[in-house]
Amino acid sequence: MPFRFLPDVALADVAFEASGTSLEGLFEACALGLSDVMVDPRTVKAKEKRTLRISSEDTDRLLYDFLTELIIIKDVDSTLFKSYQVKLGKDSKSLVCVAAGEKIDRERHGLRNDAKAVTMHMFGIRHSGRAWNATIVLDI
Amino acid sequence: MKQISEVSWEIPPSFKPGMRVPARIYASKTLLESMDSGVFDQVTNVACLPGIVRCAYAMADAHWGYGFPIGGVAAFDTEKGVISPGGVGFDVNCGMRLIRTNLRVSEVQPRIRELVDLIYSLVPVGVGARSAQGFADSQIGDITSLGVRWCAEHDLAWDDDPEHVEEGGYIKGADITKVSREAIRRGINQFGTLGSGNHYLEIQVVDPERYLDPDLAKEFGIVHEDQVMVMIHCGSRGFGHQICTDYLRNFETGMRRFGIQVRDRDLACLPFSSKEGKDYYSAMVCAANYAFVNRQIIVNKVREAFERTFHKDAEALDMHLIYDVCHNIAKVERHSYDGSTMDLVVHRKGATRSFGPGHPDVPRPYRSVGQPVIIGGSMETGSYLLVGTQKAMEETFGSTAHGSGRTMSRTAAKRSVRGNELQKRMLQHGIYVKAATMDGLAEEAGMAYKDISQVVETMHRAGISKKVVALRPIGNIKG
Repeated sequence: MPFRFLPDVALADVAFEASGTSLEGLFEACALGLSDVMVDPRTVKAKEKRTLRISSEDTDRLLYDFLTELIIIKDVDSTLFKSYQVKLGKDSKSLVCVAAGEKIDRERHGLRNDAKAVTMHMFGIRHSGRAWNATIVLDI
Repeated sequence: MKQISEVSWEIPPSFKPGMRVPARIYASKTLLESMDSGVFDQVTNVACLPGIVRCAYAMADAHWGYGFPIGGVAAFDTEKGVISPGGVGFDVNCGMRLIRTNLRVSEVQPRIRELVDLIYSLVPVGVGARSAQGFADSQIGDITSLGVRWCAEHDLAWDDDPEHVEEGGYIKGADITKVSREAIRRGINQFGTLGSGNHYLEIQVVDPERYLDPDLAKEFGIVHEDQVMVMIHCGSRGFGHQICTDYLRNFETGMRRFGIQVRDRDLACLPFSSKEGKDYYSAMVCAANYAFVNRQIIVNKVREAFERTFHKDAEALDMHLIYDVCHNIAKVERHSYDGSTMDLVVHRKGATRSFGPGHPDVPRPYRSVGQPVIIGGSMETGSYLLVGTQKAMEETFGSTAHGSGRTMSRTAAKRSVRGNELQKRMLQHGIYVKAATMDGLAEEAGMAYKDISQVVETMHRAGISKKVVALRPIGNIKG
């Protein structure tokens, strides 16, 4: 998995470190980590594809807004995703993401925690050589 | 760190550059030694914020949070001071509600499965839970302005429910035009839902072996040693979460304009008197009133479930609200400070208001004894009802602890126990649990929390809240 949970970072909440070999891969890894907090992705089918278009003032904010949008969709449309294909704009301040998933089914889905929000704690994209990393702390 | 009393400690402003006031920590020696280091770092960061008065406080249940510690209290001058979304938290007006019944445990225990299963079917819980309430978008302005008063006007509350809610059922100053479209979209379908994480709905019984002050308890309608109660812990759902998200983002930008620097991004704050500060306050109040309504709708379902299970009217079962308290909030309150009485912006993040006897904001039926303080414990260890004190008014701007406080992360708890094993163990201890997820259940195991009795004892000894009764769970719905 392109993310690992950090048991010692957020006592009452959930923290994970995501990584990718590209910036786009990192965005996808962060989204997969967020999905994994909310549902066992093995129980979600890719029945529906949705295209998200987001732009922000910088790349850090773009990641924050992207993850926040996934939380909004969970509440507004009761939809969870299991896979993501992210394409960043040239300036890395905008993205188009095709997310695949389906409406929440309480009988079939292995539901986990309801992520309330992405926090600013330790938030930020780090880059070293070909490795892109980010620590995400979710309020639960 | 200087010891002030048996259960209070102070870190002086010389500890860290920029501290404007001391940091005060309420803890027994044992609790102090087990507090994570983040608490000391965070409470001293709070002590650096502009316009803070007297002290930055950490209560006995304090643990690491974002910006502010959970269990944190800070009051700010309304003119020179700030307001901070991080000092309230994402779950605005997360809080506790306690309802009494006149049923004895011998009447409820044999039907606990039936009762808990019925409540579980009536109250949506867990990830993405949606409301059956069906409010229209056009109603949300009125609902979030008037809170439980709105419910009473629309047959969704009993006549005496609003006065048994902090601030009489709604906080003044809501303005829905300051709330984003996203927040309304997230919240409109979530009225009457419990959520997940540490949110729960619990059937409890008075636990005289742990603590009971019969005279004080009588003031709240608790007259039997085996009387059954219902406790609810939840907040403002996606509506409040989005409002905090939106304003944290705005505040970071705004701070640059006001030249405010903070030691942690989650401490983002702006002058309370600024337009941005006022806008956040108006939106945050909408979320606080949303949370009061959310808990009210859940109570209506609980009353219905008791009626259907015990074939009696909820009125005949004496299912009156004892009280409803916020524990994630910022409010303008009038307090004595520095020889005068003034309005202050009191932030309580994982802390409870604890107003003492005689205070005009304490509901009339309780005014001679003080405001009820509801301290929720882990689902294995039970909870407490306390009352506020005059000493809290003098020492902590009328504030005390809110719960037991975590000592173990969710990931570590899941590694230590499996949800289904915990469910069986709790059943052996006489607690029937219905959980939305087994992983989520394991994360809330009692071992992941401090000993609630130690937390409560500390606050009782400190004199900033006073024990009334201990409550032990017999049935639990975990979101």
